[in-house]
Amino acid sequence: MFPGVSNNGLAKNTSYKAVLPFYVYAGLSFLVATIFLLFSSSAFLQHYFHPRTLAITHLMALGWGTMIILGASHQLVPVLIEGKLYSNFLAYLSFAFSALGIPLLVYSFCEFDFGWIAQWSAIAINLSVLFYLINIGISMAKSKVENVHAVFVFTATLWLFITTLVGLCLIYNFTYNILSQDSLSYLPLHAHLGIIGWFLLLVIGVGSRLIPLFLISKYNNTKLLWWIYYLINIALISFLVIFLYIKIDWLYLLPVACLAVSLVLFASYCYQAYKQRIRKKVDEQVRLSLLSVLMMALPLIFLLIIILFSIFSKSNYHLVITYGFAIFFGWITAIIFGMTFKTLPFIVWNKIYHHKAGLGKTPNPKELFSSKIFYWMSISYLCGFILFITGVLVSNEMTIQMAAILLLLTAVLYNGNVWKTIMHKPATHE
Amino acid sequence: MNEITNDEAKCSVALEALKSVDDPEIGLNVVDLGLIYQIDFDEDQKKIYCSHSLTTQFCPMGGSISSGIVNALENAFPDYHVEVKVTFDPPWNLEMISDEGREFLNS
Repeated sequence: MFPGVSNNGLAKNTSYKAVLPFYVYAGLSFLVATIFLLFSSSAFLQHYFHPRTLAITHLMALGWGTMIILGASHQLVPVLIEGKLYSNFLAYLSFAFSALGIPLLVYSFCEFDFGWIAQWSAIAINLSVLFYLINIGISMAKSKVENVHAVFVFTATLWLFITTLVGLCLIYNFTYNILSQDSLSYLPLHAHLGIIGWFLLLVIGVGSRLIPLFLISKYNNTKLLWWIYYLINIALISFLVIFLYIKIDWLYLLPVACLAVSLVLFASYCYQAYKQRIRKKVDEQVRLSLLSVLMMALPLIFLLIIILFSIFSKSNYHLVITYGFAIFFGWITAIIFGMTFKTLPFIVWNKIYHHKAGLGKTPNPKELFSSKIFYWMSISYLCGFILFITGVLVSNEMTIQMAAILLLLTAVLYNGNVWKTIMHKPATHE
Repeated sequence: MNEITNDEAKCSVALEALKSVDDPEIGLNVVDLGLIYQIDFDEDQKKIYCSHSLTTQFCPMGGSISSGIVNALENAFPDYHVEVKVTFDPPWNLEMISDEGREFLNS
């Protein structure tokens, strides 16, 4: 026997039971968000502080983006920190509290009622994030390895917790006036803590590990990643200081410049990983994920224009809505599409074929979902995305509705493919 | 202690058998991927000891790869009991991929 080796040196991975509910929930949230989009097209031609716009934004940010990231990261964090996830139970708790809190919060936004339902739903979401933070924090503390990717993930989770805490305060502020200004004034703060602190840091932290891994690339540049990490955090902290204390519009160009540099550095990191890859054939899922890296530039351009408008004392709600749309339906959705079908089939394959490997032919994990559906979903998505942005910018409700139909079709195709993967049954001869 | 031999003929049969085990993500077999570090035959106890690595620690597919190695070796040597050990000493790296493996990935 191999001496002194328990479990044959094989690390125990996160249970698929702790991960799959997040994927299913996220897919359904995306579907509901696109249905809302179809029936709320006029809301996108008005101020962004609109019940339906707020409902859709939170459904996309929490139900879609955050839920799928929480699910996938329970599986991927052990790879990043080279240690096992501390607790599957905390993962279940995190899911349960979010799954309960998110629909209630979205309902409160639709009704524009910030009473006890909104307050308790915000508390539930905060608890969910807290459970996740504890789980990730203890997992990292127990792991002997500290690397830049893990630091990205932990910092992103801290920013997420701060974002949801600010959100909770904003909900209470509607009823009890606990802040010095009204809740609407703090929306840019709440939104950017989440978008930059949570989504951007997390996507770069995980993406910088997974993209070279999926491309089988020799490229590794930890120093560059640390630069990106510091630039994003400097951008966020300087934004907070300017927003809360200095309040001079043109100074916002400083965090935007930091962000722009960090995105250029990350794009160059991905390009180098792509150039130095050993696997020449790049699959559709990784291509879409790489496209999402380029799509990060779009919201940044809109943000720059919004700041320039505000410097000259002009406000343009259409630009703000397009900016938010480009983030949640653009960059975040594109990366989720790519990564869902790069992770989910493997989780399901592992569940079904774990003990059958080496005993004859088993299907390739890629065969668990339909690449044809994936292709049409990508086409419908890109057309819907471009059409929607055009519709908002030219203030044409008909164009927005046509785009919403395409995005609804995208959501149906996505959910169909997710279900096809999850419900996969081995053929009798396998 | 029982004598552990590296029987070259048996080792090459074992490696051939292990070529049926793929890393599901990469689609390349574990031999050409360079994941197999050592195979020892213990003739007295009729045991095969195989130490192998993974492309990354805590690889979600690690369990399937280990199971695949055990299944393939037990299939090829039905009289032997197989024990596997996952090792990261040395850690796997891209240089360990065989020429055939690189050709496959380049195609």
